[in-house]
Amino acid sequence: MPAAPSPQKSLPLREYWALLRTYLLPQRGTVVLMAVSLTLSIALTLVGPQIVRFFLDSAQAKRPESELLTAAGLFILSSVAQQGLAVLASYAATRVGWSATNNLRADLVEHCLKLDLSFHKSRTPGELIERVDGDVSTLSVFFSNLTIDLIGNALLLTGVLVVMWLEDWRVGLSLTVFAALTLLAFNAVRGLATPHWKRDRELSAQFYGFLGETLQAREDIRSLGASGWAHDGLMKRWQAWYPARRDGSVYGVTMWVVFIWSFAIGEALVFGVGSALYAQRAFSLGTVYLIFQYTALLAEPLEQIRTQLEQLQKADAGIARIAELMATKSVLRDGAGANWRSGAALEVSVQNLSFAYPADSNKVTSSHTDVSDADPSDTNSSETLANDNVLEELSFTLQAGRVLGLLGRTGSGKTTLARLMMRFYDPQRGAVLLDGIDLRDARLEQVRDRVTLVTQNIELLSASVRDNLTFFDPSIADETLWDALERVGLRGWARGLDLGLDTTVESGALSGGESQLLAFARVFLRDPGLIVLDEASSKLDPATEALLERAMTELLRGRTAIIIAHRLKTIERADDILILERGRVLETGTRKALMANPDSVFSALRRKGLDEVLA
Amino acid sequence: MSKARVKITTWTHMRRLIVWQRRSYLVNAFFWTSVFTLPLLRGLIAKAFFDALAQQPAGLNALSFVALTLAVGGASGAVVLGGVIVNAPFRFRIGGLLRRNVFVQLLEKRGAAPLGAPLGDAISTLRDDTDVAVDGVDWSLDILGRTVFIVVALSILFAINARLTALVFIPLSIVLSLTYLLGARLERLRRAARTSTARVTTLIAEMFGSTQSIQVAGAEGRVVAHFKRLGAERQGAVLRDTVTAQALEAIYGNVVSLGTGVILLLVANQMRSGSFTVGDFAVFAAYLSEVAGITQFFGHFLNTYRQTGVSLERMSKLLPENASSHALTIPQAMPLTATARPPRAIPISRDALQTLTVRDLSCTFDNARGIENASFTVRRGSFTVITGRIGSGKTTLLRGVLGLLERTAGEVLWNGAIADTLEPPRVAYTAQNPTLLSDTILENILLGEEVDSGRLERSIHAAVLEADIPNFELGLQTQIGAKGVKLSGGQLSRVAAARMLYREAELLVFDDLSSALDVGTEQLLWERLAQVKATALVVSHRRAALQRADQIVLLGDGRVTAIGSLEHLLAHYPEMQRLWSGEL
Repeated sequence: MPAAPSPQKSLPLREYWALLRTYLLPQRGTVVLMAVSLTLSIALTLVGPQIVRFFLDSAQAKRPESELLTAAGLFILSSVAQQGLAVLASYAATRVGWSATNNLRADLVEHCLKLDLSFHKSRTPGELIERVDGDVSTLSVFFSNLTIDLIGNALLLTGVLVVMWLEDWRVGLSLTVFAALTLLAFNAVRGLATPHWKRDRELSAQFYGFLGETLQAREDIRSLGASGWAHDGLMKRWQAWYPARRDGSVYGVTMWVVFIWSFAIGEALVFGVGSALYAQRAFSLGTVYLIFQYTALLAEPLEQIRTQLEQLQKADAGIARIAELMATKSVLRDGAGANWRSGAALEVSVQNLSFAYPADSNKVTSSHTDVSDADPSDTNSSETLANDNVLEELSFTLQAGRVLGLLGRTGSGKTTLARLMMRFYDPQRGAVLLDGIDLRDARLEQVRDRVTLVTQNIELLSASVRDNLTFFDPSIADETLWDALERVGLRGWARGLDLGLDTTVESGALSGGESQLLAFARVFLRDPGLIVLDEASSKLDPATEALLERAMTELLRGRTAIIIAHRLKTIERADDILILERGRVLETGTRKALMANPDSVFSALRRKGLDEVLA
Repeated sequence: MSKARVKITTWTHMRRLIVWQRRSYLVNAFFWTSVFTLPLLRGLIAKAFFDALAQQPAGLNALSFVALTLAVGGASGAVVLGGVIVNAPFRFRIGGLLRRNVFVQLLEKRGAAPLGAPLGDAISTLRDDTDVAVDGVDWSLDILGRTVFIVVALSILFAINARLTALVFIPLSIVLSLTYLLGARLERLRRAARTSTARVTTLIAEMFGSTQSIQVAGAEGRVVAHFKRLGAERQGAVLRDTVTAQALEAIYGNVVSLGTGVILLLVANQMRSGSFTVGDFAVFAAYLSEVAGITQFFGHFLNTYRQTGVSLERMSKLLPENASSHALTIPQAMPLTATARPPRAIPISRDALQTLTVRDLSCTFDNARGIENASFTVRRGSFTVITGRIGSGKTTLLRGVLGLLERTAGEVLWNGAIADTLEPPRVAYTAQNPTLLSDTILENILLGEEVDSGRLERSIHAAVLEADIPNFELGLQTQIGAKGVKLSGGQLSRVAAARMLYREAELLVFDDLSSALDVGTEQLLWERLAQVKATALVVSHRRAALQRADQIVLLGDGRVTAIGSLEHLLAHYPEMQRLWSGEL
């Protein structure tokens, strides 16, 4: 992965180079094929006009017709060969470009998936699609253009100039000066459009962000009679987008205009210099035509360099944003590793834990989100104030194999605690220890392997039922899957599907409760030592919930569990109880002891209900 | 209901767009025709120069040629600049209109009916397919300019040497037309490439929509591996597409070289005799490559035109079944700068609720989960609870009643009159998983309604949100969503409730709002609603709601099992007992 330097730089040549090195090196063979065919095709391009000159001068000199016909034949042959080589070169270039961008895309996806949740909570899926797909696709143009066209054209340009110098130093000099000035002029206008294109992309992301969000909220918008509002909102963003698009186009075309003007000057130059040298008898008529043709030949590389630089302008913005994304490091660092025994329940120990959500994670980027996508975070509104701790000096121990019922009002910090168990965030003070090992000393994958979390918001992929259960792990046998489905009572449902486990789960095909059951089935496929259930059964009706209770008994056997609930019923199976209030322990103890003590908060809860007591 | 929509040709859509933007189109046509025809002059200048050079080797006044060339070049650059200045708003408006029309139609769809494509696909259609269609319309301008060029260029060449022109350009056009036929294959390949691209895009969307689950499952590596597989498929498809396109390009390139070669062969003799000058050769060579380039562009345009058809088709597929065939290209004012908002259409009359009658309603979701023959009545001021175990069809029933899903049978009567959809000011609804937008809390509550502080206060209070608001840094002006603060699940539900209550609708419909609320908050919510004597229709299995109900509609397997008071149902229906006793 290229180390990404500061994203602010305007001409990231070093970044181009880093990208090229990383993604082209693995494809050396194809790159060599491309280079060879490219060079040969350019050499043949230079030969063509020479044959034409020979032809014209021979005709003027009234040489035998057979000589002329031979020249014409040679011309045709060399042109056909040149075209063939060009196709070969561009095939190789496309291949290289696509392999490179595919790898880059995969690297980006991997990078993003491994970033911590504060990153994901601050960006919408739509925005990340735009980065990973939109920006990278711009880059694929960059890869193939830079490799074949830009380099190829630079070669052609050099070739033409060298031949001109060999022809006559005056012509060589004037065309060299001309080409240099033209390139300088291009370079002067090259950066003009970049800021506008960058802004164009931002505004287009906002436009499509709003569009996606409102389409997702279609049911809400329709049923609240807010279609007009959505329409106006879309138009507002469309109008805001226009100035950037207009300026990008207009500034972008300055290159083309400069090109046309330069070439008018170039042609005028040929007419002037050519006629002067012809008058001095230094040139034949054929040679004047040769210069005319070579100047036209210059047009191609200079013209293409123009469009490529335009593409580069767009790519600049993309590269800067990709670099920015790549430079975003997960705030969670892997530890040395923990030696947790697989299959064994984990002891949980929370020591002096204080935690506040990072202030800027709320406000990092300019984008839209779908609020419903965010987990229902059980944090109180003080979370919005950066320095307020959601959890405050929290300490408790849960012995291996025991079940903890975690109670508390909305906002008491229950969900936050659950997230810390998964190490989605690191605490500012204190620590979470599993079997005596600080989560920060373990590797992240170990934590995710040994601890699992089920929330009330279930995320399903529009992939097969199998993939939704296993997340593309082919090593899990079908029987295991059926067994898991059986345990959560979904076997009947799955049997009824057209293609069984291969049926694609469309969004909306499962009810809220069924999705929840599917999420439970996912847990059955794994062997965690600690299970955190965050309001996991809230969408189930009591009858279904009862069904699941049985499965849960089996699931929790031999494991440590933390069950978060608003309702007392859910935690009947708990051995221990912990009641949170504003991020602190209000009461803790074994369930039996707390029930036996009529003065305990827990007993009061059981008598009067959760909220009356804790309010 | 599903009348087959009359299929409209690509050309009709394009014509409608051009007619809509006719003035802009004409101005564009002027500029772009100039851009493409000015090179004619360059060819003629070159011919004159070489002829003059050959005839008067010593005393040529090169200065006039220099000046002429500079003048034509200057003009060419200027028309390009002008062309882009008039082209930018033209393209932007057309793209905007297509997107807007599809968007409006999507909002017209029944709110809970499937979108017609996964969200990622729909967005990529609105983004990319629209651009293809814009190209299709825009490039018709190029076709116009280039046609003018070809006609004039061929006339000039014909005047110089008719036989040569025929011998070179007729076979050339035939070869180029033949290669156009290859375009059909290209189109197939392109479609395959697009399909596999869409699969990749969809997967990216889902990966980033399910990041937490993927991380919890520790499945990052496996998901990326799956992504790479799809990426490799896409690469193969794109490569086939691109290489075919490049092979076609090569044919064009060869045609130019061969054409030049053929000219050389044919004129060898005439050149020796001087009846074909170097100037003639210069203009032939210059126009030959231009004409081939243009013919190539014609092929390119025809492919784009076909692609435009495919893209328009994809856009049409997103439209509701009953949308007009012209819906995509219905003209609209598309001002590029913000204008005073026209007053909203007056909403349907309030028509105070007496009774809402659901009669023999049947309704399916996704052809699977359905409701059959459901009947019940809601009276003014009453509290009705729909309950049943999961999958019994509670949400589908609500959606059917509100008209958010197509009803397959039966009807819904508002005070005795048939109502197709129920929206504010009659009914307001909060879905099971309400979606809020990335905007301020206030904007989320208003969603375009006028600000009324009294109404705002009432709805925030009734939604039990009044204690939360002061805790936000900017109060109601606080941004929520990715840009702003995160809301807790309970807060989200209560903002959604406030949003619904702000509509002051006759009937309030909640789909299991309580699952995100704790018991106390829920109690308070029902109490406050009772205080304002709201009529409510609620899906719930919570005791807090059931105890309050004037009537309970018990569902089982998509049918109404029973309707009655809690006591009655508990006494007679074991299913109700099970649902009830599941709760502590």
